[in-house]
Amino acid sequence: MRIIDFHTHLDDRWFNQPMPSETEFLETLDRFEIEAACIFTLQGFYGNCRKHNDALAARARRHPDRLIPFATVDPKLGDAAVVELERCLADPLFRGVKFHPWLQAFAPSMVQSTMIELLQCAARRHAPVIFHDGTPPYSTTFQIAAAARWVPQATVVLGHSGLSDYVVAAGQLVKDIPNLYACVCGPRAGYLPYLVQTAGIEKIVFGSDFGFTDWTILAEFLDNIRVADIDRPMMECILYNNAARLLRLGERPLPTAHLQ
Amino acid sequence: MQHPQVIDAHVTLGQEHPLALEAGELLHRMDAHGIEHAIARPMGAELVVDNRVGNDRVLQAGPRISGLVTANPWYGSRALDELKRCRQAGAVGLFLHPSRQGFMPIEPVVAPLLEFAAEADWPVMFHTGTYVHSDVLAVAEIARAYPQTQFILGCGGFADMWFEIPGAIRDVPNLWLETSHTLGDGIRCVLKTTGSKRVLFGSGEPSNRYAAAINTLENLALDDETKRAVFRDNARGLFRLA
Repeated sequence: MRIIDFHTHLDDRWFNQPMPSETEFLETLDRFEIEAACIFTLQGFYGNCRKHNDALAARARRHPDRLIPFATVDPKLGDAAVVELERCLADPLFRGVKFHPWLQAFAPSMVQSTMIELLQCAARRHAPVIFHDGTPPYSTTFQIAAAARWVPQATVVLGHSGLSDYVVAAGQLVKDIPNLYACVCGPRAGYLPYLVQTAGIEKIVFGSDFGFTDWTILAEFLDNIRVADIDRPMMECILYNNAARLLRLGERPLPTAHLQ
Repeated sequence: MQHPQVIDAHVTLGQEHPLALEAGELLHRMDAHGIEHAIARPMGAELVVDNRVGNDRVLQAGPRISGLVTANPWYGSRALDELKRCRQAGAVGLFLHPSRQGFMPIEPVVAPLLEFAAEADWPVMFHTGTYVHSDVLAVAEIARAYPQTQFILGCGGFADMWFEIPGAIRDVPNLWLETSHTLGDGIRCVLKTTGSKRVLFGSGEPSNRYAAAINTLENLALDDETKRAVFRDNARGLFRLA
């Protein structure tokens, strides 16, 4: 079965903890037969987004057929954040945007005007925008859903489908908001049938958070899908088809050549 | 070594949107995954308001399922009466869900229940991981206040309080981890920091699934002694199972 991991982190470290290296990262993708992964920074959430966006792009350039970089910017910086996002998305290598409001220290409503500009920028480039969700006080699932309503033409993805306490809400919000999607990176297997039935099978993508810890997290979240009470066609939608559609791989396939 | 005969320290019976699990289906799932015994607690309305119905559900689920009973502390003396009834009926411990039942673990309203658990020599499992009321560190404070009682961090601080778990268990000697929702990396960190003596395998059925919960531990490549402790012996001792 083809798999795209829509939620991973590829960086040097998280605080003082080393993360899987680029080689280990790719070996793990191979081990679990993951075709491609959307890669996000981790240290970049704490500052100097430009530096971390460039580092992410450099990694993706070495493996453009496997690694799909998502840029991040700090919306607290206002216009400078919009400029940085425009810069990143002008590079066809970047296919999406990642925000982690909890770690980046903003609630979307606190930076609403900038966030609207950023979402509009992403929408113009057809770049999905994935947010961490499920954690108060800055990343509740309702806060992310509210941001999705501000710019209906943007594609907004709940990075964790409500994680734990917001899963029921996530299903309902994704159903109610046409441009809101859910990445099942968090809710345990018992909740997947509910998410599929409520949100709609076409609105759910698979993600693992791999990179944040070692390969075991990828194994766990793949298990989550495989043991859930959903059939194979549904799994194919979640594991590959929906992500391919959001990333527009039909129109813009991933390059096969080395870009460096 | 294959799986030892497994004791599952945390399942839920009843209904809580969108989840549901009855004893017959649980036994079917236990058989399919080599689970010898399960510790079950109520869910949904039976956890929050209809405690007697939920407690009877877990207490009457058959010989392979033991009841981790509950009482909403706001019922006052009626809560204590219910726990006394459950003790007579064979309950093996107390479950509390501060977020759903509406209290802070350190509030006086819950103290009589904790004193009862201490007198009954029951372990107490708290739901943890939901911000504010189900704070891992609030349960750690309660554990410090009742050092003779064993307290279990149910759901292991899932989702975003996982990072408090290893330090809390290291620092508070009567605090235990139940693994049903904890990521493997977090479980590994507890095992590395504190060893296996206070770690309990839990499936979290029906929120999680046996196959996934067992694989989470299998992926850690535990040695046989650790496996026996986590999958069986720790729970057998803590819940005083035969």
